[in-house]
Amino acid sequence: MSGIVTVMKKEFARFFGDKRMILMTLLPAILIYVIYSFMGTAMADMFAPDADRTQYVYAVSAPDRIVQKMTDSGLTIHHIALDDVDAVKYRISERNADLLVIFPDHFLQDVEAFDPRTTTALAPNVAVYFNSAEPNSLDTYMRMLGILDAFEASITSRLFDINRDITDADLATTADLTASIIASILPLLLMIFLFSGCMGLAPESIAGEKERGTLATLLVTPLGRSELAAGKILSLAVLSFLSGLVTAIATVLAMPNLMAGAEEFIDVGIYGVVDYIWLALIILSTVLLFVAMISIVSAVAKSVKEANMAVTPMVIIVMVVSVAGMFGGGAQENPLFYLIPIYSSVQSMGGIFSMEYSAVNVALSAASNLIYACIGGFALTKMFNSEKVMFSR
Amino acid sequence: MSIILKTEGLKKTFKLTAKQQKLQNTKRKVITAVDNLSFEAYEGEIFGLLGPNGAGKTTALRILATLIKADEGDAMVDGSSVKTDPAAVRAKIGFLTSELKLEDFFTPNYLFDFFARLHNIDPKVSALRKKTLFEKFGVDKFAEVKISNLSTGMKQKASLVISIVHDPNIIIFDEPTNGLDVLTARVVTDFLQELKEQGKTIIVSTHIFSLVEKLCDRAGIIINGKMIVCDTLAHLTAEKPLEDVFFDLYAETVGEAV
Repeated sequence: MSGIVTVMKKEFARFFGDKRMILMTLLPAILIYVIYSFMGTAMADMFAPDADRTQYVYAVSAPDRIVQKMTDSGLTIHHIALDDVDAVKYRISERNADLLVIFPDHFLQDVEAFDPRTTTALAPNVAVYFNSAEPNSLDTYMRMLGILDAFEASITSRLFDINRDITDADLATTADLTASIIASILPLLLMIFLFSGCMGLAPESIAGEKERGTLATLLVTPLGRSELAAGKILSLAVLSFLSGLVTAIATVLAMPNLMAGAEEFIDVGIYGVVDYIWLALIILSTVLLFVAMISIVSAVAKSVKEANMAVTPMVIIVMVVSVAGMFGGGAQENPLFYLIPIYSSVQSMGGIFSMEYSAVNVALSAASNLIYACIGGFALTKMFNSEKVMFSR
Repeated sequence: MSIILKTEGLKKTFKLTAKQQKLQNTKRKVITAVDNLSFEAYEGEIFGLLGPNGAGKTTALRILATLIKADEGDAMVDGSSVKTDPAAVRAKIGFLTSELKLEDFFTPNYLFDFFARLHNIDPKVSALRKKTLFEKFGVDKFAEVKISNLSTGMKQKASLVISIVHDPNIIIFDEPTNGLDVLTARVVTDFLQELKEQGKTIIVSTHIFSLVEKLCDRAGIIINGKMIVCDTLAHLTAEKPLEDVFFDLYAETVGEAV
């Protein structure tokens, strides 16, 4: 037992004493925060209209009543002839103009005369051209639709309205929105971050020590092979957990920036203490499983390079299983699904984040992860005992 | 003097890969590195295993250090079997070979404490031992320098000091002076003498005749994994120098003069 603690202390001293290693672990978190924030801001800028810019609307045969409404809402109107339509369309496509509205001649009279209940003819049509790639043009288009809509409502009685005077029609709570946003992304991200955390540490700690001959130095001491395996797995799990946690926190912090304008939907305070405890259990047991998996591969590998190469396909497996776990309409209810390694973790995380989980299934998932990790630890002990694995060149 | 280490019929074979077969120009799939090796070492003596490269010296020592397992036979190290109680053997021996390295990232000071803890040494005892050994080998001046920044000689000294952190009664050294400059080699050989004077038993493997003549009380000559002769140095060199004895035996065994 004391051997496990001694090995763990050494692993921690190795990690926390190495500024480069800490930086390499923090780097993904910093990068994710910066990139997400940058992407969010850039995307928001890209799709937001420029408030100071005058919006140029070109109109053909626009009736005065509508022109008045357009001017009232801050649009500058240029009246043009039908012959100039193509030139204006070109200017809109080149982003030099925002909108082209073409009213039929005698629009008002036609509208007054039109009654859908007595005629089979088509209603008078207003053509509105815009450029959806240009935020100002898109904004002008939306405003124009609003003006036309209001105008239509003012001159004729509609057959029915939707949500008139109801401003709180969306009954989803902030908690629901947060849960659905987080449950859709975070399990996949967490699995990848946790696995990357383990990948950054375990091959170096096991294949690296084997390659450099420092593991053999430990093998000639009275330290039990099982103590060495347990000490390595536990310390690597703690460090990988911390590394995954830092990256996950950076992601959660950057999420509102990424989804600029959706800040009010992200509120991690919706989860209770019990939810977080279950989440921690799942994450810790998953990390133990990951570390055990990577440690075994690293022990078999002859060098860090070989270990990293062998672990790469495992990343793809973890990603595919994680993505598969995100679909299927919420967390599975059949307990058998919670015995499948990796998949069970994704299901449990998804369930916890969407606040629709069965404690029994999550506990089953954590327990099965721990059992698989223990089997991995046992296999690692066997490998430390095997001269073929430890000393083959 | 009582027997403290005894090997009986040790045998170790290794499988050759196709590539190794090609390199060694052989069709044999299995090579025998150690073949029915039996010898004894007495308490308080320096025993030398002498043989050319590839004779099986290192393999034999690795079996004694419990790093690898013998296919057949057993060795008793101070009453513990390498086969049935390897952990007890590891607690009783100090093993030093160039293959076992210290982690570059750490300092001799940290590693001494680390290995002392692995050997369950009382911190007070280990602190005192560290002071003595570090001063003796001049490691004290480099105690806080990372292993990666030490010179080859200083690295070897740090390895030596750390391999005997638990003050073992039996010390097994594989090629103790290999790769060392004359000054460091001298420090090591002097230290082996000193250990002997303290009553420790030392097993060294080497291909250097002068080292055996200078240090060993008894020696065994290994050729092709077999112990050809094992006797006191006085008996071995009664008629001719050790070098001549070796070459005569080699010619007899391998069937051709070198």
